[in-house]
Amino acid sequence: MKNFIHKSGALALFAGVLTLTSCDPEIDNFQPSTGAELDLTKYVAVGNSLTAGFGDNGLYREGQLNSYPAILAQQFALVGGGEFVQPLFTQEQANGSGYLKLTGFTPTGSPITTPVTTNLARRSPNSPLLTKFTDPINNLGVPGIKVADIKTQGYGSTQGNPYFERITPDANAFQTYLQRVQQSDDHTFFSLWLGNNDVLSYATSGGASAAAANQITPTATFQANYTELLDALTENDQEGILATIPDVAGVPFFTTVGPVVKQSLTAAGAAGMVAITGAGKTRTQFATAQINVPVTGVLFTLTGSTYAPLLGAPTGKYWRDLARSVASDPSNPLIVRGTLAQLLVNYEIDTTKAFGFSAGNPWPSALLLDQTEQAAVKTATNEFNTIIKNLATAKGLALFDANAFFTNIQTGFSLNGVGYSPAFISGNLFSLDGVHPTPRGYAIIANEMIKAVNNTYGAKIPKVDETQYRAVVFP
Amino acid sequence: MKSKILALLGSTLLTGTAMAGGYQVNLASQRQIGMGHTGTGLNTGTSSIFFNPGAMAQARNGITIGASAIVSKIAYQAPESNSTVMADNPTGTPFQVYGVYGITDKLKAGLGVYTPFGSTVNWGDEWTGRFGLNELSLKAIFIQPTLSYQITDKLGIGAGFVYSTGGVNLQRSIPLENEGGEGKAELDGDASGFGYNVGIFFQPTAKLSLGLNYRSQVDMEVEDGTAEFDVPASVRARFPESTSFGAELPLPSTLTLGIGFNPSEKLTLAVDISRVGWSAYEKLRFDYGAPVNGSNFTENARNYDDAYIYRIGGEYKVTDALALRAGAYYDETPVQDGYLTPETPDADSRGLSAGIGYSINENISLDASFLYINKKERTDPSNLSGGIGGTYKSIAYIPGLAINYNF
Repeated sequence: MKNFIHKSGALALFAGVLTLTSCDPEIDNFQPSTGAELDLTKYVAVGNSLTAGFGDNGLYREGQLNSYPAILAQQFALVGGGEFVQPLFTQEQANGSGYLKLTGFTPTGSPITTPVTTNLARRSPNSPLLTKFTDPINNLGVPGIKVADIKTQGYGSTQGNPYFERITPDANAFQTYLQRVQQSDDHTFFSLWLGNNDVLSYATSGGASAAAANQITPTATFQANYTELLDALTENDQEGILATIPDVAGVPFFTTVGPVVKQSLTAAGAAGMVAITGAGKTRTQFATAQINVPVTGVLFTLTGSTYAPLLGAPTGKYWRDLARSVASDPSNPLIVRGTLAQLLVNYEIDTTKAFGFSAGNPWPSALLLDQTEQAAVKTATNEFNTIIKNLATAKGLALFDANAFFTNIQTGFSLNGVGYSPAFISGNLFSLDGVHPTPRGYAIIANEMIKAVNNTYGAKIPKVDETQYRAVVFP
Repeated sequence: MKSKILALLGSTLLTGTAMAGGYQVNLASQRQIGMGHTGTGLNTGTSSIFFNPGAMAQARNGITIGASAIVSKIAYQAPESNSTVMADNPTGTPFQVYGVYGITDKLKAGLGVYTPFGSTVNWGDEWTGRFGLNELSLKAIFIQPTLSYQITDKLGIGAGFVYSTGGVNLQRSIPLENEGGEGKAELDGDASGFGYNVGIFFQPTAKLSLGLNYRSQVDMEVEDGTAEFDVPASVRARFPESTSFGAELPLPSTLTLGIGFNPSEKLTLAVDISRVGWSAYEKLRFDYGAPVNGSNFTENARNYDDAYIYRIGGEYKVTDALALRAGAYYDETPVQDGYLTPETPDADSRGLSAGIGYSINENISLDASFLYINKKERTDPSNLSGGIGGTYKSIAYIPGLAINYNF
């Protein structure tokens, strides 16, 4: 009897162990759902380079696959969202437009980037045009497009924007971007993040360009075009999300070089600098203390990193480089020399003077966003964002306030054991062009958008694991 | 024979996944596990070396060898997400060996080797929190020579010296990647420390016994560990390939009051209340021999709180040879809100246990136990500890066996 009890007891214990070990702990405090109103069957994304997945100064397959609309669609699919087609470059042409790769650091720690020039999707070697993709697509992101461009006839022609040309059917070559968006009448959800380039192309060119494409869009034009585009997207009362425009002063493109210059000027005891302002030859002076100060100060562009070490030297390197890039025949030394001479006369440059410190050899306008220019950008950004926010409220749409988000993270934050900040390369958020996010940055943006959609529509769309997306790749 | 087994245990078995509060592992005796791990107010035989050296003076000469198998499962879910990750923890095997020998009728000497702290958690190198932790193994084996003296029939005292030996191995991913993948850091070091274990055992009547036990804090020090960093070549200048590191981890003190009650010859009931001095664990700091990413140290706040454990257990002797046991306990978490980490994703835990004792003959008996631990699901932002925010839920199934030989 004793024996029997003992044996059966042990057996019961053993059986108990077997049964119990197959029971895993369960966490079910988040039940994914779209809520009552949201229909994610067909999502279309409208926007610019950010929407296309642009990064590292190029559009290429990896960036496309990790675009925020692709990430959103992947998460939408967990709650019944439908298929999401992007105009992907093929594996063979995976490097698309080409892009920048980090290939090392200088002895002083400055990054060295190298363009990727293989496996491109160029239709011919020196053409900006890209291999066509004319199947129906859900991601209508077009790098470089402004709100000001959406009604421009021929914007998708071979003389227009090569990224829009790429997705524009030959049969309809003069279709405007607005018309392309209006074609979509069966989408159930949309995202619209447009307007960045309406200030950014002015800012990244340092306010130095007289070209129409590099001017800030008039607010009235912005209001009219944006409203018309949004009306097209909400024609059948579709739900969607809008996003605001971040401040240019918050991206590494404008915040990386300034501190270096400021430090070297302070070390040298230099009180300030001389630069050209605007598109002409007018000189402006600013104090060392004004460098890298948002709104009221001056910002140096990332494109100035090559020339910053030459401050104080008698150099004409910038103008020689410019002459080479604008000369009608860059391969003809005579023509390049002629162009250079013309530039020096036009801008009244004496390359024997101290670069950046003398009215005779000022810091170039294209490499600087001075006070006046920065104020103009800030004013326009605020006006555009007011329009976007008002429309979101009026139409009951979700809003990702990218401006507020990027302003809030200026001092950095930590997420899942990783530090993030707007710092170039080390901040993990921005890619090698200093303007566009890394795939990790796009994933974090997608999560912010999911948060906004969930809040507005009472949905429970799961967030994505941002750590599964890469930041900067080091050599 | 005994030394052979010991060698085997030390080399092939790991101590358990932390399955009590923090990284404490309360699995010191198979008989007592069956009774909700009570025992401070009882004469528990050889295991009094752990539970209350004051009661050891009453123990028969004998040796106990036992071990448990911790099958633990930890689930993690990121905030506002529905994908769950499970830690792939190896089965932990805490063990205990006790020997007691009477020098005189009243004075007894004992030696205990047991594993009251430890943690093995393996999240892998793909999960969301890999930059916080891939894998942690924390081992501590306590070796405790003990003396106990029976002052009167009713009163016994005892004290033991504790030498702790063990080690730590911590692996995490570094958020710097090249085309081959992400960077890795591995810290590995041996650790040791000292402490003591003292107790008083008082038996006012045949039906009632009381015990008070204090197990001191043991500071485990790693003095010359090895820290290795695998990072992309272009950032190599910021990370040494290999350097030394030092760290200190407190294994907290435990003060326990236990009460034993024998309403009949066949029935024993016990209650224990413990206060664990977790507030000693304020931070986790690693000091490096060479700068790592620009700093000679890393430090994260832990700020644990002292915590109480409430235990209740009973044993019923069905026959002279067969005993059935059951127990339960409630173990408060020492981890404050905001401080949860993937090393010890702790929460208030509930334990339910059952056990069987069987005497084969006068000298040899067996104990089998089974403990089920269920920690409360806990959601924490982990914003104060540098941890990984989200929801954690842990459960564990812990069967164990022991053999006692008395002479």
